[in-house]
Amino acid sequence: MTGEQPLIEVRGLTKRFGGLTAVDGLDFEIRPGEVLGLIGPNGAGKSTTFNVISGTYQASAGSMRLDGEEILGLPPHRIAARGIMRTFQHNMPFEGMSVAENVMVGAQTTVRSTLGRILLGTAAARAEEQAIRARADELIDFVGLSEERDAEVTSLSFGQGRLLETARALAGEPRIILFDEPAAGLTPSECDRLGVIIRGIAERGIAVLLIEHDMRFLLPLADRVIVLNFGQKIADGTPDTIRTDPAVVDAYLGEAGGVGADA
Amino acid sequence: MSDLLELLVSATASGCVYGLVALAYLLVLRPTGVVNFASGEWAMMGAFAAYVLAGMLEVPTVVAIPGAVLVLAVIGWATEWFTVRPLVERGAGHLAPILALLGMLVIYHQATLLVFGGENYPLDGPFGFNRVELGPFAGTSQSFFIIVMTAVIFVAVWLFFERTVWGKSFEAVAINRRAAALMGINLRLVTALSFAGGAAVAAMAGLLDGPRGSVEVNAALPFAVQGFSALIIGGINRVEGAILGGIILAFAEDLTRRYVPIPSGLALGVTPVLLIAFLLVRPTGLLRAKEAG
Repeated sequence: MTGEQPLIEVRGLTKRFGGLTAVDGLDFEIRPGEVLGLIGPNGAGKSTTFNVISGTYQASAGSMRLDGEEILGLPPHRIAARGIMRTFQHNMPFEGMSVAENVMVGAQTTVRSTLGRILLGTAAARAEEQAIRARADELIDFVGLSEERDAEVTSLSFGQGRLLETARALAGEPRIILFDEPAAGLTPSECDRLGVIIRGIAERGIAVLLIEHDMRFLLPLADRVIVLNFGQKIADGTPDTIRTDPAVVDAYLGEAGGVGADA
Repeated sequence: MSDLLELLVSATASGCVYGLVALAYLLVLRPTGVVNFASGEWAMMGAFAAYVLAGMLEVPTVVAIPGAVLVLAVIGWATEWFTVRPLVERGAGHLAPILALLGMLVIYHQATLLVFGGENYPLDGPFGFNRVELGPFAGTSQSFFIIVMTAVIFVAVWLFFERTVWGKSFEAVAINRRAAALMGINLRLVTALSFAGGAAVAAMAGLLDGPRGSVEVNAALPFAVQGFSALIIGGINRVEGAILGGIILAFAEDLTRRYVPIPSGLALGVTPVLLIAFLLVRPTGLLRAKEAG
């Protein structure tokens, strides 16, 4: 399922805040269709890593290559346009819009018609809008929100909001999706459903990078897991090797009593 | 009765002008949160641009109108580039761009005054000044032209925001800038376009209104006050609110002036009094955001 060539190659990624080094020389790569878990105790630098990758924070050093092309330091909208989309730990829907409209905004980077043609309402521009609407509907079906298609987003449950974020991220035709603690706040049945959806995303050849505290959710889902502690990578391997890695067990002991414990 | 019907046509035309200025405020306000009081200056400058093109250079009206709109769109774009963007990108507070635009208001005003002086200039409408009768309604051809053009502009802007992904993206920026950027929306481009669009719409207001009276620098303040009042009355969240607010304001003004004996010097006071009274009753404006139903 995983291709040979890495989709993204991160080398020496470093982020300092004043005297604090939140991410320290991080190396990793992801292949198309791979589910990569990113775990570590609180403050290990996981969210900072996401924020640097998605362009919210400027990296202090390092490189990030997508298909061999350096993209570290681009502004967030350009990173998204390259096919790196994300969801948020605390859902960030566009309130006041419907579910379908939220998903359509996610498709903004795929719009090819120029603004002039859109304003003139040319046939090609209209056809493209139609195609985007159709794709948004398809993605809404894919995440299982068909019933809520025209509902205003504030009427969604938290779990449904997470599914909406997933559909919105997919609308940008991403090559990689970053999930920031997707299982947090979900009921067990919602977790199961999200797990199936994430697997389905990977099967489409999209790489998935996943920050997660809930090991019961992550370990069965991930192809590979990297472990951060104090901003540094302390382990990188399959879920099975990570579970027994002494360095990982050490890092987690003080916090949650070992990997696999309920975080 | 025919007197009243004629008043309704001219009041609707005034309401359309107010509505367009309100739309100019709204286009800038929604995605950026900036109240741009220079909108009135943009309207006045739009009228002057049309005067220069049509009156001085004798360019045909069909070219002069889009030409003047384009000139103002460029001015709006440049205003954002030079005065708002540097402040936002250096992390200035929310009020700083409003202050910078007040500064620009003075610059626009004095610059136009330097070039054209305080005199009144005539501007011809595309259809002259004939009286037109449409069923029971009668008015000048310019009044009907204003109403038709305003309808076209509002329908186009409404379709853009309601029906296109780009329009939704503008709205997304208004709702959550950070999430919008991470969904791939170019915040700089959206901001620049909203200033260009705001100035273009303000220019339409000014050049449509010009033939009803004259083109003069002092028209800027009434444009700014009445456009802003229309915006507040209609509610700042919806495109439809701008035109609704404009028409309500114009009707209230014209009917008061016509049927209530107010000394002419106090006529300008009608707008602020109405606005205050309205805000007491309906502080959020007429049309609320969609989520409020």
